[in-house]
Amino acid sequence: MANYYILHYNSNALHRRGARAILNNNSSKPIYVQIAHWIESEILNNHFQADQKVYSQYQLAEMYTINPATAAKGLNLLVDEKILYKKRGLGMFVTEDAKQIILNKRRNQTLKQLVDELVQEANRLHISKQELITMIQDANEEEVQT
Amino acid sequence: MKVIECSELTKSYNRKKVLNQLSFSIEENTITGLVGRNGAGKTTLLKIIAGYIKNTSGEVRVFSERSFNSLNVSGNSIFVDDQMSFPPALQLGELLGEAKRFYPNYDANLAKRLFDYFGFDEKAYHNRLSKGKTSTFNMIIGLASRCPLTIFDEPTTGMDEAVRKDFYRALLKDYIAHPRTIIISSHHVDEVEDILEDVLLINKGSKLLHLPIAEVKEWACGIKGNSETVLKLINNKEVLYQKEVGMNTLYAVVRKDSSGSGSIEEQAQLAGLEVTAVRSSDLFVHLTTEAKSKGGIDDVFNNY
Repeated sequence: MANYYILHYNSNALHRRGARAILNNNSSKPIYVQIAHWIESEILNNHFQADQKVYSQYQLAEMYTINPATAAKGLNLLVDEKILYKKRGLGMFVTEDAKQIILNKRRNQTLKQLVDELVQEANRLHISKQELITMIQDANEEEVQT
Repeated sequence: MKVIECSELTKSYNRKKVLNQLSFSIEENTITGLVGRNGAGKTTLLKIIAGYIKNTSGEVRVFSERSFNSLNVSGNSIFVDDQMSFPPALQLGELLGEAKRFYPNYDANLAKRLFDYFGFDEKAYHNRLSKGKTSTFNMIIGLASRCPLTIFDEPTTGMDEAVRKDFYRALLKDYIAHPRTIIISSHHVDEVEDILEDVLLINKGSKLLHLPIAEVKEWACGIKGNSETVLKLINNKEVLYQKEVGMNTLYAVVRKDSSGSGSIEEQAQLAGLEVTAVRSSDLFVHLTTEAKSKGGIDDVFNNY
């Protein structure tokens, strides 16, 4: 089970191959959620700055070969979360606080869920608390070195 | 605006009901996928909508008119399948030119470009084309005619994978540039689902589901784990499919319901069970499998 969610959350769910992008049809998340997630990642990577225009539903539809209504649903999800705002007739733009909102969301939800699953899996494998902490520390050090 | 409205639509062939009390409507400028098993009544439904055949009872309204014998419906719609008939005396190049006379929005330039891209010969004849090439040519006519109501009945029959992919992308690109109402019936749900807005699932002539494709993924979930635990959890739930996988392990597909305490997924996760998403295509197969054979084809081979 743990594998399943990690597959989605490490943003491989939606990766780009050349000019065409690939969506993960097996993910437990609907396509529009994956679209929203990908735009969030683009904002986190500074590909979109505050008050900058993001892709339109038609551009997204074209990029990912998906129905424009599906793309619109993804964009509206971000509007609801105040990550994007609408300018009538002009398109969708990144809000001032977008990055902070995304960071908070991912910390509180995604990371917490991953940790929950990690702990569950560790319990199933009879790994002690201390062992688990050591493993995380080791992984962290490796990450810092690279 | 609703382009198609059906209410209690019924069609019988020799007293056998092929379509049974079908009611639904389709909005303008949407792409709808029509899904169902072999013999579910998909082609009959599409042909009634296109005005090719007459329904036995109930009502069908296309562009607010009865579709049968309607010049307005015929002029504004195209029905594409692998049996479209073209004058056998004309060469493919001539057919492309003639199509303009039948469809006012026909884009001859697009037709020619697609024609060349897919490697057709202007001097070839339609009735000598291979299965896949026939479908491809018909699809070109279907796209280029840009009819306000475009119906594709199994458009990808015989097409190879590369052509199918190209077709879906061409369809989507042209739809974005020139929005229109499109219905596609297909058995390749996995391939087509991304470009759909809505899905209409019919089984044995009745409507099973009609909802946005985005909601299909959230309609059911798969649960796997210890048989006893799974059975306890799915007791009094709507079970669509279940199968023994390995020692004392059960996989079940259950409909999600928002009522009650906590979602079924949360309950399953708390019980240490594996929760997975169900592919749309699998869900449709589960939904259209006979109630008495929840194990599918395996039941045929068990205990006989």
